[in-house]
Amino acid sequence: MAFTSFNFLIFALITVCVYYATPKGWKWLALLVASYAFYLLSSPKTFVFILLTTIVTFFGGKGIGKINAEHKAYLDANKTNLSKDEKKALKVETQKRKKKIVAVTLIFDFGILAILKYFRVYIETLGFGDTFNLGILIPLGISFYTFQSAAYIMDIYRSKIEPDKNLAKFALFTAFFPQIIQGPISRYDQLAHQLYANHKLSYVNLQRGAQLMMWGFFKKLIVADRIAIPCSQIFDNYHDYHGGIIFMGMLFYTIQIYADFSGGIDIARGVARCMGITMTHNFRRPYFSVSLSEFWNRWHISLSHWCRDYIFYSIAMSKFFGKLGKNLRSVLGDRVGKLFPVIVAQFATFLTIGIWHGAEFKYIAYGLYNGIVIVSGLLLEPYIEKLQDKLHIDVQSKWWKGFSIIRTFFIVLFGRIFPKATSFTAAIAMLVSMFKPMGFGAFYDTLMDLGINGVDYIILIVACVIWFIISLNEELEGKVYGQLARKPRGVRWAVYLLALAAIMIFGIYGPGYDASAFIYRGF
Amino acid sequence: MREQVLDILTEIRGDVDFENETKLIDDDILASLDIVAIVGEFNDEFDVEISVEDLVPENFNSVDAMVELITKAQE
Repeated sequence: MAFTSFNFLIFALITVCVYYATPKGWKWLALLVASYAFYLLSSPKTFVFILLTTIVTFFGGKGIGKINAEHKAYLDANKTNLSKDEKKALKVETQKRKKKIVAVTLIFDFGILAILKYFRVYIETLGFGDTFNLGILIPLGISFYTFQSAAYIMDIYRSKIEPDKNLAKFALFTAFFPQIIQGPISRYDQLAHQLYANHKLSYVNLQRGAQLMMWGFFKKLIVADRIAIPCSQIFDNYHDYHGGIIFMGMLFYTIQIYADFSGGIDIARGVARCMGITMTHNFRRPYFSVSLSEFWNRWHISLSHWCRDYIFYSIAMSKFFGKLGKNLRSVLGDRVGKLFPVIVAQFATFLTIGIWHGAEFKYIAYGLYNGIVIVSGLLLEPYIEKLQDKLHIDVQSKWWKGFSIIRTFFIVLFGRIFPKATSFTAAIAMLVSMFKPMGFGAFYDTLMDLGINGVDYIILIVACVIWFIISLNEELEGKVYGQLARKPRGVRWAVYLLALAAIMIFGIYGPGYDASAFIYRGF
Repeated sequence: MREQVLDILTEIRGDVDFENETKLIDDDILASLDIVAIVGEFNDEFDVEISVEDLVPENFNSVDAMVELITKAQE
């Protein structure tokens, strides 16, 4: 059931009504029933896998929580008797016990993900697809709920949160239906208490939720699904194109993926908000970033932060890599030796981000591309600073900031070719053919022959300009929602009705009024 | 100790007003690379073991929070 389908709208409307009609104390149960119903309607054959992950993670968390509680009780009881070294030894011993449960739980959770999402691709690549055909579909949202469950386990291990006491409530945290299609990957301490609370019917929540959903539909139906047509035409038939058209393909995809993914997240956040639940942000105007590092702090934030907290920090601050870096200082020099754990951590982070998208080599190449650009920037930092000094560049100036934003946009745009191309070799072939010259006449004629016409291009340009102005306003002034809320009622409603009319008239609708599937649904 | 902490922070990020900022993490002023560098310096300078578990925003949002974190780690 896609977010943009008519069925989903009906489902969301019924859920919101049932939620507010359910008596206090039972609202979370209504949400759980709705979430499981959504799962069973969308992906019935794979329901068992989300159940398994939920049960194993819940009991894993309970086990770690019990060790935490015993450790704390012992420390409280023997505060004065224990020396600093004894406390340290006790901590090490406790961590060892906890690590065993963490390992078993994570191997189970990620094992299911690996077998169902990745193993199949590898055996098919090796030519054993028929021999080892598991006959199982990839469960809906498996990457999202697996990463969310892993974060829950790690946070209990790090004593940041207490384990949930109620399996059914925890099941809601894992399967909450707005986030199951394409995230965001919520943290337990941010979301769970909101899911379990009894939110009262509120005009502000309904209004804000509906606005978010409408904004999501605008991006998805007017921009993403329209630009997807020429984009797929170019990428799927890349042998037929060259020069500027290949570049346009990359530009189209850069816009499409942002409109599609952020549109979907807005719809998900909007549905949740209608029930008084505020889900975490996943985007902060990423194309305004001045560096690739900043971009990853603004794009798919919930995944980036997941990687930062559980991969980057774990490696960059580990004693093993710290010592290795110290030993390597004599070979690599002081600076690089010091940076060594950070460099390893960056590559591990971006490999994870690459593999998250899929098992094929093109996704690994995408991760490596991002890792190489960021690590190169890190290693070359002193030389770049010297060059900027020599050229008298004021890095605080608006001009330099503007240049940095455009530079970062192009770095992102070129990287996008790897995940979108049909294969890694196709991506390389496209990059090479992009430099083959093409006359303007041929360029224009080809552009008009990619599945959409001139009117579609005008609609796209107008929609993107509106989107850009709103984003720029948010970047400079803060939330547009706050500004709109202060306008007179007549102006507000005129904006809502215009937006609704635009979505209905200019949205791209497939057969049966079902828009094309969300890109991130596949992850 | 506060002065030492301030010196370390200024050495790593000279462009930040550490005296007055109280949302260094919440407002994305400090990046993950800065945090790793800061923790590495704290561990060396104050002979403590600040680990991944201590990496919560509350411990790094201000100079005073960091001083408190080091004091706790020394106990």
